[in-house]
Amino acid sequence: MLMTEGIWVWIAGVLTLAIYSFLYKDNPLYKIAEYIFVGLSAGYWAVYLFWNFAYPNLFEPLVIEGNYWNIIPIVLGFMMFTQLSRRSAWLVRFPLTFVLGVSLGLQLIAAVEGDLVPQIIGTFSPFSKGTLFHTYDTWTSIGYIALLVGVLSTLVYFFFSREHKGVFGGIARTGVFYLMIAFGASFGYTVMARISLLFGRVYFVFHDWLGIIR
Amino acid sequence: MSAFGRIQNLDRRIIFLTVAAAVILPLFFPFRLPVAVTAPVQQLYDVIEGLPAGSVVLISMDYDPSGAPELDPATLSIMRHCFSRDLRVFVMGLWATGVPLGMRALETVAVGEYHKQYGVHFVNFGYIPGGAIALVNLGADVHDVCREDVYGTPASEIPMMEDIKSAADFGLVISMSMGVPGSDQWIYYYHARYRGNLATAQTAIGAPKYYPYLQTGQLVGLIGGMKGAAEYERLVGNYGLATVGMDSQSSAHVLIILFVVLGNVIFWMEKRRKK
Repeated sequence: MLMTEGIWVWIAGVLTLAIYSFLYKDNPLYKIAEYIFVGLSAGYWAVYLFWNFAYPNLFEPLVIEGNYWNIIPIVLGFMMFTQLSRRSAWLVRFPLTFVLGVSLGLQLIAAVEGDLVPQIIGTFSPFSKGTLFHTYDTWTSIGYIALLVGVLSTLVYFFFSREHKGVFGGIARTGVFYLMIAFGASFGYTVMARISLLFGRVYFVFHDWLGIIR
Repeated sequence: MSAFGRIQNLDRRIIFLTVAAAVILPLFFPFRLPVAVTAPVQQLYDVIEGLPAGSVVLISMDYDPSGAPELDPATLSIMRHCFSRDLRVFVMGLWATGVPLGMRALETVAVGEYHKQYGVHFVNFGYIPGGAIALVNLGADVHDVCREDVYGTPASEIPMMEDIKSAADFGLVISMSMGVPGSDQWIYYYHARYRGNLATAQTAIGAPKYYPYLQTGQLVGLIGGMKGAAEYERLVGNYGLATVGMDSQSSAHVLIILFVVLGNVIFWMEKRRKK
């Protein structure tokens, strides 16, 4: 057994146990670990973002290179804080309008170019003339049919302008089955992710800290 | 109280203990279940295999230490694969917290195992702020976005950067991603404009969302969670943390399935009894 002598590994090990002690019940050790995490995160991000984001992109070009255009984003950035006072709160609309405009412009095109159009093409292209059951093997072709049925029936389920009755209701119910499968897959992957996190900590405790396992 | 009632009101800490046991015990008594390689992982492996020597693979470290148990093994395996094929690796990150993880991975694989030279065979530009906007600019002019590497060396003084001007100079882009900004931004803002080979390694929680992008060809490969990383470790023949973790994963999954089945059976029987 080779228990580490590294002080940081010890601190990380003790904090790991402190966090997991919450599973037994809430306790002061857990609270201490939680506050350390929140404080460290806030401090880390503040310093990191200033020196890696704001300083090299904003202040350095302004002060050293004389790029006075950078005054505009600095002013807009400070205007974000005007909402702290009721009298000046209206000023926050200017930077928010800018942020919303840029975000909308970027995301609208991205959603169409990067998601909507390729996904529609991907759903329907296997059905172009002569491809299904010829270009693709039987199971792949059946998969594409199932995909199309799933897309259409799920879309029908989310069409609320007509009551889900009769044939329309049957299609919508098919969509519900597809949704349930999707949620099931997501749940399964979520379990896997959480167990991975637990495994990561367990491996750290027994391997890096206590040195019990190789 | 009936036996079913007692199980229904079971102290949740007992469940926590059994899950902990299911994760810990396989570490001491491994049973090494086989890891089958799935098509999305194989596809990524094949793309890297098909790249000519000297090609540049961009690895974007878009995760933080909480994603490390799942994504570190994938990062290490991909780097091993790239360096074993004499590919050059360009590392950057849309997450500030990904920078030290990228440096550690390069230190382990590029320097420690393959004795590659910094600036010639691999380079690290660290945190690239700006998310989507940075990616839009990156594809058009890499030097405009990556002006200095993580050590403060200007890009113009790094030999490897002489061949890297725009998106066309990357043979493959891989986003090691656990959230935003990450694979979404690479798909929507980078690939939609500049095309090329794009792949992703995801934490398990995010992986299901990206399967449709494989079918459309927007992604050429997908590594999903620790399982995907274990598959890649098998493909490159270097068994690491993900492979070790598979036994714990499997036993915990079996346990959770049992709990789900048991919970539903009890629920159903209680419902019948009340009728």
